[in-house]
Amino acid sequence: MASQTHLNLSPAELAYLHASLSLTPPIRPDGRSPTQYRPLSAETGILPGTNGSARICFADGTEAIVGVKAEVEKTRARWDDETIFLEGQEGDEGAEEDKEKEQGGNREWVELTVEIPGQRDDDSGTIFLAQMLSEALLADGAFVERLKINRGWHWKLYLDILLISPPLSYPLPLLSLTTHLALLSTRLPRLKSEGDEDPFFDDDWAAAPHLYPKDRKARPPVTLLVMAVGNNIIFDPAKEELAVADVALAVSVGDSAERTGKTAEDEDMEVDGRKLRLLSIRTVDPPSRLTPPGVPNATNSAYGHAVAGPQQQKMPEARAVESEAVEGVWKAPRGGAKLAVMGALVQKVLERGGVADEVLDALEAVDLS
Amino acid sequence: MPLDTSTYNLALLRVDGRRWNELRRINAQIRTQAAADGSSYLEMGHTKVMCVVTGPSEPGPRRGGVVGSAGGAGGGGGQSKDAEVVVNIVIAGFSSVDRKRRGRGDKRTLEMQSTVANALAASLHIHLFPHSQINVSLHVLSQDGSLLAALINAATLACVDAGIPMTDYVAACTAGSTSTYAANDESADPLLDMNHQEEQELPGLTVATMGDSDRVVALVCESRVQISRLEGMLVVGVDGCKQVREILDRVVREKGRRMIDEGTVEKGTGLNDMDVD
Amino acid sequence: MPREVEPSLNEKQFVLQALQENLRLDGREIDQYRPLELTFGDQYGVADVTLGKTRVLAKASAEVTVPYTDRPLDGIFTIATELSPMTSPAFELNRPTETEVLLSRLLEKTVRRSNALDTESLCLIAGQKCWSVRVDVHVLSHDGNLIDAACFAVVAALRHFRKPDTSMEGGVLTVYTPAEREPVPLSWLHSPFCITWSFFGDQGEIALLDATWVEEQIRVASCTISLNRHGEICQIAKLGGTPVDAVALLQCSGVALTKAKEFSTYLDGKLAEDTKKRNKGGLLAELSAENDR
Repeated sequence: MASQTHLNLSPAELAYLHASLSLTPPIRPDGRSPTQYRPLSAETGILPGTNGSARICFADGTEAIVGVKAEVEKTRARWDDETIFLEGQEGDEGAEEDKEKEQGGNREWVELTVEIPGQRDDDSGTIFLAQMLSEALLADGAFVERLKINRGWHWKLYLDILLISPPLSYPLPLLSLTTHLALLSTRLPRLKSEGDEDPFFDDDWAAAPHLYPKDRKARPPVTLLVMAVGNNIIFDPAKEELAVADVALAVSVGDSAERTGKTAEDEDMEVDGRKLRLLSIRTVDPPSRLTPPGVPNATNSAYGHAVAGPQQQKMPEARAVESEAVEGVWKAPRGGAKLAVMGALVQKVLERGGVADEVLDALEAVDLS
Repeated sequence: MPLDTSTYNLALLRVDGRRWNELRRINAQIRTQAAADGSSYLEMGHTKVMCVVTGPSEPGPRRGGVVGSAGGAGGGGGQSKDAEVVVNIVIAGFSSVDRKRRGRGDKRTLEMQSTVANALAASLHIHLFPHSQINVSLHVLSQDGSLLAALINAATLACVDAGIPMTDYVAACTAGSTSTYAANDESADPLLDMNHQEEQELPGLTVATMGDSDRVVALVCESRVQISRLEGMLVVGVDGCKQVREILDRVVREKGRRMIDEGTVEKGTGLNDMDVD
Repeated sequence: MPREVEPSLNEKQFVLQALQENLRLDGREIDQYRPLELTFGDQYGVADVTLGKTRVLAKASAEVTVPYTDRPLDGIFTIATELSPMTSPAFELNRPTETEVLLSRLLEKTVRRSNALDTESLCLIAGQKCWSVRVDVHVLSHDGNLIDAACFAVVAALRHFRKPDTSMEGGVLTVYTPAEREPVPLSWLHSPFCITWSFFGDQGEIALLDATWVEEQIRVASCTISLNRHGEICQIAKLGGTPVDAVALLQCSGVALTKAKEFSTYLDGKLAEDTKKRNKGGLLAELSAENDR
């Protein structure tokens, strides 16, 4: 899936970028360290008409707004225990079916849309973004669990993600962080009814609890964009860095503290709190694969070297020479990434005290109004 | 949702406590975004709109339909001698009380895109930028009536920020009339700047005028109304546009003064002082 | 994408200069329509309108369907417009151009949103069965002022249309064939007409009615006013373009009212003529099960 950011860089520029990013330590065009995020300004609760909202501005000017709206919806009729019994099915099988159904229903409780200006809403890039973001949310079964009101009713959550600025860089990290913040600020009215009766709610918005209570450790997932050039791992790449990436990954991490009671206990014993858990990984096809290759001086006629004649070019040896890597000449990466690099990428994300931890800490510090 | 408009005659106060000739609070900012050539944020009451302008620039690969573009004779991929104004409106799903998602193909949105584009094209000096394109993308964050007017005002501000030469401000507002079309009473009062409730219940129109003049750039009426009421509504609307123009002008001047005070006209100065709520 | 051929610079200047001198290419007055002709088809609900070289065919049809769940008491009424490549090479199938979107929105606002057709009368059994009335607008030839012609055709077609008579007895719905019972007209509340003004000149000071295609291509702004003969405005659309003085717009709306009255009278006359033609033996009154209200 190509991350479509049109960027017109010459092969020479690409080669320069690639070379500087392959150094140890890598030199990034904007002077950041490899694990450093772009500075950002964030605020929450900007839209009083929503259940939760957030806005994030990256320093390069890209900006996103996310609004969360919740509706009460009737949970689609499931097989009651009696029905299964009457049908004379085996208890075990019925229960399993039951569970599956519930799972399917759960997934539909969240609707996530991404709007990117100037792009059609059925654009494959937009759909891919929405898919990645919702995948991270849903991978963690605990999220939809929160939307359950009682056996008959649940919240349906609509997440509308708007990119306000023109898509300057691949917007995934921005959108993910904004979504995270919006979910943190989301509040649902306090339930007044009890048990399985039709739900009714407290009118007092001030009494509405957060979807993610502040005193509990649980946090929504974040998706980080990580790329590798050579053996260097670089976080939050800008578009020109992405243009020379060997491999780019979208890694979603969650906080596993929220899982079952057992892990919660484990978490209590944990001193520094967070237990990061990998939720999903997607490879993002970097635009570097579509960049035009450079021409080495040895075959460049402008430098007075003999150019291969047309008949010579058609010969297979000539082509082999052409595709050979020459130091300092840009050539689009071909083939897949090394397994070791992929492993290192994921490891780096999950590292305690690493970038993911840092990002989550930073977002937690945002004042939830 | 039937609205009880009968109380208006008692105190001459509208549902939100305004008098007939009062605008809602208009709060606007320009240069809210560093990455864009021009940007603005505008609130008219609870209607909140953001606008980002990029261009004039070389037309990129064509995406989406041709609807919503103006200027340039036919605008065949930037081959025209005028710049093409391409407007893109995104109505956020969370903008109304009940969440409603509108696809890009929604005809009402397409019509609004075309109206905003044509209204801007009337004021912008598009003949100065041949073979180019001005992209205006509008985001509706919250709607409470007078949506088209807010969109036009926000787009005007963003174009000012982008520094595109233009004749004058295109300022817009809505005007309505008390009592519905069926009642043929001549005593009906005109109303200025309708909110969502009033828009549902009463006839009204959106007017956009060019600068300080009485010249109407856009006039859109979507409800049934006696022709005799048109004059009253139009007069109130045009007058409201002048008030709106003053407000927009103040916003631009204030921003300019602040930029001079700071001594830097560096892009991105508006980043931190934006207060969306 | 194919484009319409633009008039040449000479042509533009010639037309404009003539307009400055109060002359139009075809010798009309500035507020004069081209000859309007309406012919009804053999079937009910087919109206063929020609306005100079512009020709629009509208066909109304009805079928019984299930109403929308959110509006169980209303019937369904849709207007479908399609500009095919037959009209002009600039139109493509399945790819709505700006003209097409604006045309269909205008018809929608003029006829549907102004409640010209009482959709509640289309309901047969609440929440279960209703009539779905559909008007298809086909533009056969485009020589300017599509909107006015299309709107006239739609209104004419709907007023001419007869839907099969129905009856309800003990929860059983019967739809009668035309042979059993004479079809009944739709419950029509008022007839709105679109009148489009085109503006020319730097200040938009010259206003024309019923612009031809050449005039439309060089106009600087347009304003469509829809009203019925009772003087009720259903819709006004001046969607941008060169600014026009507010007073001039008010004058335009006044002239539009007289034009709408003319249209209304013409249509009434044509409908009466058509009824007389169909009512050869004078039997229609007896066949009809409808009461005079």
